[in-house]
Amino acid sequence: MRAVFSRQALALLPLAFLTLMALAPLARLLYEGGSGFSANLFQDDYLRWRLLWSLTQAVVTCVLALAIGLPLAWVLTRFAFPGRALILRLLLLPFVMPTLVAALGVLALFGPHGVTGLNLQDTPWLLLYGNLFYNLPLVIRAASEALASVPASRLAAARTLGCTAWRAFWRVEWPVARPWLASALCLVFLYCFSGFGLALLLGGQRYATVEVEIYSLVAYELNLADAGALALLLLCLSGGVAFGYAWLERRLATPGKVEPLPPRPAVTLAERTLLAGALALLALFAAAPLLAVAGRALSAGVEAWAVLGEGDTLAALANTLRFSALALTLAAVLGLAHALAAQRWLWLRAAAFLPFVLSPVCVAFGLLLLYPGWSASLTLLLGAYALLAYPFVTKSVAAALDGVPPQWPQAARTLGASAPRAFVRVVWPLLQPAFRRGLAFAAATALGEFAVTLFLSRPEWTTLTTLIYQRLGRPGAANLDAALVLSSVLMLFAVSAFVIIEWPGRPAKDSDHA
Amino acid sequence: MFKKVLWLALCTSALGAQAAELRVLTHSSFALSKELLAGFEQQSGVKVVVIKAGDAGEMVNKLILTRANPIADVVYGIDNTLLGKAQQAGVLEPTASPAGAAVKQTLPGMVSVDYGYVTLNYDKAWFARQKLALPTSLDELTRPAYKNLVVVENPATSSPGLAFLLATVKGLGEEPAFAWWGKLRDNGVKVAKGWSEAYYTDFSKNGGSRPIVVSYATSPAAEVFYSKEKLAEAPTGNLLLKGGVFQQVEGVALVKGGGQKQAAQQFVDFLRSGAVQADLPTQMWMYPVLPGVKLNPVFALAQQPTAHDTPDSRAIAAKSAGWVSRWTRVVLKSGY
Repeated sequence: MRAVFSRQALALLPLAFLTLMALAPLARLLYEGGSGFSANLFQDDYLRWRLLWSLTQAVVTCVLALAIGLPLAWVLTRFAFPGRALILRLLLLPFVMPTLVAALGVLALFGPHGVTGLNLQDTPWLLLYGNLFYNLPLVIRAASEALASVPASRLAAARTLGCTAWRAFWRVEWPVARPWLASALCLVFLYCFSGFGLALLLGGQRYATVEVEIYSLVAYELNLADAGALALLLLCLSGGVAFGYAWLERRLATPGKVEPLPPRPAVTLAERTLLAGALALLALFAAAPLLAVAGRALSAGVEAWAVLGEGDTLAALANTLRFSALALTLAAVLGLAHALAAQRWLWLRAAAFLPFVLSPVCVAFGLLLLYPGWSASLTLLLGAYALLAYPFVTKSVAAALDGVPPQWPQAARTLGASAPRAFVRVVWPLLQPAFRRGLAFAAATALGEFAVTLFLSRPEWTTLTTLIYQRLGRPGAANLDAALVLSSVLMLFAVSAFVIIEWPGRPAKDSDHA
Repeated sequence: MFKKVLWLALCTSALGAQAAELRVLTHSSFALSKELLAGFEQQSGVKVVVIKAGDAGEMVNKLILTRANPIADVVYGIDNTLLGKAQQAGVLEPTASPAGAAVKQTLPGMVSVDYGYVTLNYDKAWFARQKLALPTSLDELTRPAYKNLVVVENPATSSPGLAFLLATVKGLGEEPAFAWWGKLRDNGVKVAKGWSEAYYTDFSKNGGSRPIVVSYATSPAAEVFYSKEKLAEAPTGNLLLKGGVFQQVEGVALVKGGGQKQAAQQFVDFLRSGAVQADLPTQMWMYPVLPGVKLNPVFALAQQPTAHDTPDSRAIAAKSAGWVSRWTRVVLKSGY
């Protein structure tokens, strides 16, 4: 009973945070706008077309990401090869790249002056490629974790009973992977549906999402009534998706003790071909644009790399380190508290998606309205970082909690352990890998600073990402080169962060907490 | 370690609050030599807190939204496209210009600091390679020879995009201007969200396929300044066409309801001082309003427009929202 009570109390922390940082600002903005939005707002064919387009591209991306990501993940999980652990960590890198830099990388490959000689600019292919660049890694990571949690004994039993590998996949692995995939695809959908993403940048304004319309209404026209109405519409649409996902995830969860199947080397020619093909696909979709950026930076020459010695760059590096560390600390606390509390209530689980479904520009302007005295403070900026980063920790830990067999902590209690002790000794070791995974995603979000330009900032708070945007705000080859060099540094920085966060690289073994 | 950092952050922000602070709101392109700002702080005895609020349009809206509790004492970077809007909302304190020499450009009710031109830039190498003659009027851009060659910024999300739209309306007349935009759309104009996107992903000089881009008249000079090897000539040029040049004047003013009036006025004077006026051209790529300031020699490589089509700031305030939504209808919405 006391455990239930304390879990309820835990919910207060993320709820207070969400209310202060997201709901109250949105409400304040809606209040400022009043109810006088134009009646013909929703009659507009162009708006309907945009909504339809946003939905279509989000769904198409989800389908493609699943169709390509699941087989890729299967190969990466089942076969051992050198550098496998590192590749799984590097999968988060696209997340960190500022969209403009990612677009430069994509165009360096498939642009009018691209190295492939294939000019895809202004074609739908480039849009889908851009979407997959950012979202495929999400699906691969999730699917790979899911497949790693398929009990080896079950697979062995299926194979002994005469199942082909194909049949074993559908009967044993697929049911285990479903909740993980649902979770990842839900995120992919939300990103593509409401994002400012790469697709827009590569496709031009014709393919603008509704979020861009909201941005223009708020930031340029100050038409808060229309913007608020649109933001609520988006909130309802994507909120429904988030709620559906939370329900699905909980329903599909199957707690159980897991002895994962260890990856084995690819032996036969068919297996090797499969592995090589998977790695090639991964390189094409996730690595190529990043390599193009790094390659251009390397070929920029010594003068371009001199930017690393500049005081501004060093200060930006220090800020990046400082802010990400602070934001991650906040995200860790909030994320854990939210996940532990969300096990009881479905709505609370869905609420973790709130930061993904709220219009960032509305939140940014709402914060400004609500706390004008705090608007240019570091506290608010870090709060915004944490807001966007912490749901990853929640998501990851909540999924892991579903997998903890309830008998285990119960047994510990029966044997005389106090509730906190049972948590620390029994549950926590099982959660730790998921916690670290979530934290790695949170770090990627904090480093990528998705919505950072919307908030008030000070020159002395310049981070690597803002410095890159500053350089790309001026003409000239030297500025472009500096931006590419800084982006490469950002990648290196992110890689080290991911490796440190997920250090031991192996899921905690049962023996760890014996 | 985290605790230490947090503690440090808290301490510094607490300390900072004690010294007298002058809060300066600017757009994200604001840049000035650090030594100059440090010199001003020493002279005036206040600490300057620069707050960047995004693009100029976004900045003005943030100022308007927070007028009950102003977030700054001085605002720099409001230009003639936004002045009327800011004045109608009543967020600016009438600000006196420093006494002294007459300046090249003025802004009613504000103190002008610098000026520049939004215009079309073209990729010289591209035109030489294709052996295509440069267009001599906006109208020619709608002909088949120039199909798919132009990229502009969306006036609903970008300041130079808005400035260019205003120039076409003033230069061609309202009705002909929108007819021209319709023809330009049919001729394959591409619309980018902002300047950085247009310049670095669509302009043929960089990653894209379009040799004509809406940019600034000083951009060719900046291309030389920021080039890797010393160039004798700019790789891009200005395409100064009738109806395609907008004169932008940026200024500084006190914020209504802000504090530190005396320091704020000192800051206004500081931006008009010879030292700042000489520093800003290669920092922000604008021309100084103070006459007689020596420019960096690279500026000679960018042709300065002699004529421009700029509506007055009152007309802009009254009509630009309507023009932008009409532009959206003509260029983006038609066909849906």
